[in-house]
Amino acid sequence: MINLQPYSNPMYFVWLAVALLPLMIGLYFGKRLVVYQTIISGIFLLLIFGGPKWQQGLALIGYIIFQLLVVGGYAAYKKHANQTWAFVSAVLLSIVPLVIVKVVPAIEVGRQSWLGFLGISYLTFKSVQMIMETRDGTIKEFSPVMFVRFLLFFPTVSSGPIDRYRRFQQDYLQVPTREHYLQMIEKAVHYLFLGFLYKFILGYLFGTVMLPRLAHIAIMQRAAFFHSGISLALVGYMYTYSMYLFFDFAGYSLFAVAASYLMGIETPMNFNQPFKAHNIKDFWNRWHMTLSFWFRDFIFMRLTFFIMKHHLIKKRTRIPQAAYLINFLIMGFWHGVTWYYIVYGLFHAGAIIINDYWLAYKKKNPQLPHNRWTEGLAIFITFNVVCFSFLIFSGFLNTLWFQAH
Amino acid sequence: MNTQQAVIELLEDLTGTDISNNLDENLFTSGVLDSMATVELLLELQAKFGIDVPVSEFDRSEWETPNKIIAKVESLA
Amino acid sequence: MKAKGKLWLIFGPVIIAAGSLILLFSLPLGWGHFSDRTERQAAVSLSPKVFRGRKIKQQALENNYVPFFGSSELSRLDAFHPAVLAAKYQRSYRPFLLGAAGSQSLTHYFIMQNLGSQLRGKKVVFIISPQWFTKQGQRPDAFGFYYSPLQTTDWIIHAKNNTADRYAAKRLLQMPSGRASQTTAAALENIANGQPISKFQTTVLRAKETMLLNEDALFSHFQANKNLARVEKSEKVLPAHYSAPQLNQLAAEVGRRETSNNQLDIKNSFYKSRLSGHRMKVLQNSQTSFDYRQSPEYSDFQLLLTQFSKWHVNVQFIIPPVNDRWANYTGLSMPMIRQTDQKIKYQLQQQGFTHVLDLTNDGNEKYFMEDTIHLGWRGWLKADQTIDPFLTKQQPAPSYKIQNKFFAKKWQTSTHIE
Repeated sequence: MINLQPYSNPMYFVWLAVALLPLMIGLYFGKRLVVYQTIISGIFLLLIFGGPKWQQGLALIGYIIFQLLVVGGYAAYKKHANQTWAFVSAVLLSIVPLVIVKVVPAIEVGRQSWLGFLGISYLTFKSVQMIMETRDGTIKEFSPVMFVRFLLFFPTVSSGPIDRYRRFQQDYLQVPTREHYLQMIEKAVHYLFLGFLYKFILGYLFGTVMLPRLAHIAIMQRAAFFHSGISLALVGYMYTYSMYLFFDFAGYSLFAVAASYLMGIETPMNFNQPFKAHNIKDFWNRWHMTLSFWFRDFIFMRLTFFIMKHHLIKKRTRIPQAAYLINFLIMGFWHGVTWYYIVYGLFHAGAIIINDYWLAYKKKNPQLPHNRWTEGLAIFITFNVVCFSFLIFSGFLNTLWFQAH
Repeated sequence: MNTQQAVIELLEDLTGTDISNNLDENLFTSGVLDSMATVELLLELQAKFGIDVPVSEFDRSEWETPNKIIAKVESLA
Repeated sequence: MKAKGKLWLIFGPVIIAAGSLILLFSLPLGWGHFSDRTERQAAVSLSPKVFRGRKIKQQALENNYVPFFGSSELSRLDAFHPAVLAAKYQRSYRPFLLGAAGSQSLTHYFIMQNLGSQLRGKKVVFIISPQWFTKQGQRPDAFGFYYSPLQTTDWIIHAKNNTADRYAAKRLLQMPSGRASQTTAAALENIANGQPISKFQTTVLRAKETMLLNEDALFSHFQANKNLARVEKSEKVLPAHYSAPQLNQLAAEVGRRETSNNQLDIKNSFYKSRLSGHRMKVLQNSQTSFDYRQSPEYSDFQLLLTQFSKWHVNVQFIIPPVNDRWANYTGLSMPMIRQTDQKIKYQLQQQGFTHVLDLTNDGNEKYFMEDTIHLGWRGWLKADQTIDPFLTKQQPAPSYKIQNKFFAKKWQTSTHIE
């Protein structure tokens, strides 16, 4: 039984093109071949989660049934009652599998929970989102079939981008006009080739060619600078890893968006020139956007809303600070229960809080210079702060300080 | 006091910026309205106009300029 | 029609690009001959790209290049390095350096896989470091760094059902790089289990081989490396005519000059960048528990010997010493080193590999080592005393008697030689 990891090698793209062609012809003539689409989705999921990964496949099936019960159950309940405890329990239940998968390797190093499968965190985002929107009343009808289609939309199943249910449903049910579909195909081809450049050329250059060498040199110099391991190679590693992370992930995201477009679904973009950000807030509006917007809409906004409505914190400036800390702490834990992911989260919370102070100060002092140079300086500082956070995120410091022998 | 004026005053209270001259400015990209101010706006709308907008209903593209906010408030009130 | 025209605009370039790519890599194109300079660059480049490839090595070895297998010591390109001596004194051979930090037996085994017709009945030099023989043996990450899909594919296509090939397949499957490709891993499983690989697998692997060969031939034309310039610069330091005593004296002089900042006879630059300051304190007695006597490396090494025997390759082995002062400082056990040396030599001699230059007892010679465990100045000269006649003079054909017991776990872990 063969196994294909999404977008990882040229063959995957060949299979993808062959599989999507009939679907594309259908869409071109204004018809979505639902049965065909369901069949090829099944085949691709089998390729991703079959063969040597069959255990993941089983975990995925179990997970889908579980979420159908939780989300469907809550939607049925919501029709005649709206107690907060029910909502809270549904959210908690929905994240239980993800929590187990993240906590198991932290308790016993190297062990992976058998509940886990590639993409579990992205599916969890989608499920929690459904429960929250059902609570708000914006999702009124629960359709189990559409919910499964939404969760298992195969172009984005492994690593996002994280779509929104109502948006997805609308695209799925409404076939684009021919003119619009041609525009989507045009964009898809562009994204696909941009993705090749990003992931297979630049990502390869930074990640496969340069990174191991720099890692090797940095580890050789781990005793440098009073045993902190701070060396020129480490600085090089930081920038190279940041470039690798961006090009690899942005390339992958472009593939996922391109495949979605070919299927007539306008999955949202994940990146918007993040290294041009003027400050950390701006950065999070450009980096892994579907994740940060998910956090903004479903955690940060709700948290501030809750705090303000119940007057939990008196001082106004303290409210967003608390919300940022909790927001980014959760994001850190979501990445994995290791010290460096959590420190990464706290670091960004700290950076954004400092950034807020600066923005307030700037507002009070309109005489501060604002020109091309100060903007350049802002971009430079933001870029370096971000790269440093990625060095933490990379886990390389963990290797350098605690594992390298 | 009409809705337009009430919204403009509300925004000035929340953000400390007088926006009466740029009613078509995108408040999110210009940084006038951040997530925090948005939540405050929603709470104030609830208190002052009695309109209930759940956070998940809050589609940024429909609320991005003062004019759009005014139109939204008028349609929901 | 407007929409149709637009479709052509969108997909036309894609179709052309895909078509040209398929042509570029699937036709047996050859990509021409490498220039003399490209050959010289590749021979001293020590670059993973060269190790992983095939065509440039084949061409060089068909000329007067001789493979020098080894590891990190090959990068000590001082004036007395074999590559410099051979070039300066217009010897009949030129070393083609194969190996760098982290390359051990298993890497070398695969490096030589597609050099069969060039190595058959020829001579090679092999520098074998005791430091390879750790408890873990070949580190998977280092193996991955030099891993070549091309060599692996070539090897799989020609693999037989015998002890050595089954062992190699098993070892490869223990490395993440060996499992990276589905087809490769499946074929390796077959070989490891003593089953033939299927027709379909062979077809896929052959297609893959053509593609990888084109890639190798095309990209091998681009050799960018500073090492050749270093060799050429080093040549200028040497006297015009070869004279062993004169060279020995010069090596001692250079060695003295370049080891002035420490008491351990370690090259200044190495000491400064890797050992100075606080680092030295930590390293004191840090190697007391190092042990090279038990290691899977012994069986990996046996793979090489089997291959050499199959192709009747005449091999000059060199076992370098450890810098004595360094060993004292770090607490490295010399009896352990000597036993390791004995074990390696036993494995060689039992099977008829008689050309062994054992330098283990030269660790206290002045300016023999460039730093901790790497040959330098006078060390290279001493090795040259053996290498030069071995390669330039007629040698009797070797007669090898390969014994499969060296593939067994029992040999890997044995500390008693009987």
